[in-house]
Amino acid sequence: MAEPKKLICVSCNRELEMKKTDFTYLGHSFFTDLPRCPGCGTVYISEELVKGRISDVEMQLEDK
Amino acid sequence: MTGERIHSETWSLCPVCLKRLPAIRMVRGREIFLRKRCPSHGLFETVIWRGFLDFNEWTGGLPGNRTEEPPCNDACGLCPDHLQQTCCVILDITGRCNLECSVCFADPGRGREDPPLSAIRASLEKLVEKGKTLVQLSGGEPTVRDDLPEIVAAAKEVGAKYVQLNTNGLRLATDRELAGRLALAGLSFVFLQFDGTEEPIHQQIRNRPLLDIKRKVIERCADANLGVTLVPTLIRGVNTHNIGEIIRFAVDQSPAVRGVHFQPVTYLGRVTALPSDNDRFTLDELIREIVRQTEGIIAAPNLLPSCCDHPLCGFHGDFVVHNGNLVPLLAKKETSSACCCTPAPADKNREFVARRWQRPVGKEEGEVVTGDDLRDMEVFLHHVRNHGFTLTAMAFQDAGNIDLARLRHCSLHVYDDGRLVPFCSYFLTPWKDH
Repeated sequence: MAEPKKLICVSCNRELEMKKTDFTYLGHSFFTDLPRCPGCGTVYISEELVKGRISDVEMQLEDK
Repeated sequence: MTGERIHSETWSLCPVCLKRLPAIRMVRGREIFLRKRCPSHGLFETVIWRGFLDFNEWTGGLPGNRTEEPPCNDACGLCPDHLQQTCCVILDITGRCNLECSVCFADPGRGREDPPLSAIRASLEKLVEKGKTLVQLSGGEPTVRDDLPEIVAAAKEVGAKYVQLNTNGLRLATDRELAGRLALAGLSFVFLQFDGTEEPIHQQIRNRPLLDIKRKVIERCADANLGVTLVPTLIRGVNTHNIGEIIRFAVDQSPAVRGVHFQPVTYLGRVTALPSDNDRFTLDELIREIVRQTEGIIAAPNLLPSCCDHPLCGFHGDFVVHNGNLVPLLAKKETSSACCCTPAPADKNREFVARRWQRPVGKEEGEVVTGDDLRDMEVFLHHVRNHGFTLTAMAFQDAGNIDLARLRHCSLHVYDDGRLVPFCSYFLTPWKDH
């Protein structure tokens, strides 16, 4: 199995670490683990996550 | 009369001769009435809103003036003036029934023969849009047909996306194999007539005890992984005190039970007596009772006006059952308009209800998710798929309270001989025999 790619923050040049991250959508608060820069706090949200679980959450919360 | 003012104009029908009549929505005190005068049969007035919620906020503001020509209510099919697409198609597969209820919109048992399976398949081929249509099999009582699994399978074969069964549950309770056979044939979910948690309610509306039967149906459907939505017909003084208990019962039965769909009684079909205003149970009254009887667990802003039909035709609330409690997912935004009545939300509505009413299949049900905090995205997704729950209502119209402006927004259509007919047109019953 391939090693997961390292993600480096373009601003701080530091490796991103998985951290619990809060977000809100349509008035609901959620958390999940996301790669985050220990320096500036920038998080990386992969396309896979956006099109997968986050899109699922969005769909479930959408009004009819 | 003093203390009255006109709220808005619309069109209605004479409840006796069904002639189209100009009508007004009249404000008197907190209440709103629909008033119309037939040159032959006189003045008719019916309460349509009790004033427990702000009418204008709920409806998003109705046009003050009526259209020049009355909207058509002929049950000849959808015309270009109809404002809504089809969300759900009702297909009657029998006129027979195994109950003799005090109220029934369909008033079955008219002596017609059941259509053969080949005729039903031909109807399905005409009405189904592949990969899109939600077909509700209804009647009469559809489970009296021995070939019901074949009918469900035919609906799926011709491309229906969802197949729903509208049933009193009698046969599902007594026939141990039926739920499993229907699930195997492709049935998506079940609308189960369920008028209350107290036996006298069933006795009064359905003329026999039914509570144990309903419990058995839920058990059988759970075993077959078929989602059940409870459908109470609400009659003031019979079961309107039981609304909170019905919701609690439904929540206790989650995830087998997916929600409650309230239907205030309508004077269509088998009308045993003409209604007074006290016999009307308006939508805002229902919301008040839901809030009151659930002791604040459900708040009024969690229940939103119908987007798919006219705002006076129903409401919906979306929830997750978490540790035995209802967690609301929707809340009305103060800044937004109360209703999103755009011309084509029928597709969206169909997917919304199906997402909640259908139980997940495959591995999701058994998916291992650790933790119990709904803010955890994985926990939330697991719970909302498996324990989603809706509170919805549909206020059908009858000859007394029919508002033709509402009818134009109807998305619940009955299929009959090549035509799609709005529900309340199709079942409209004149009151001349009374």
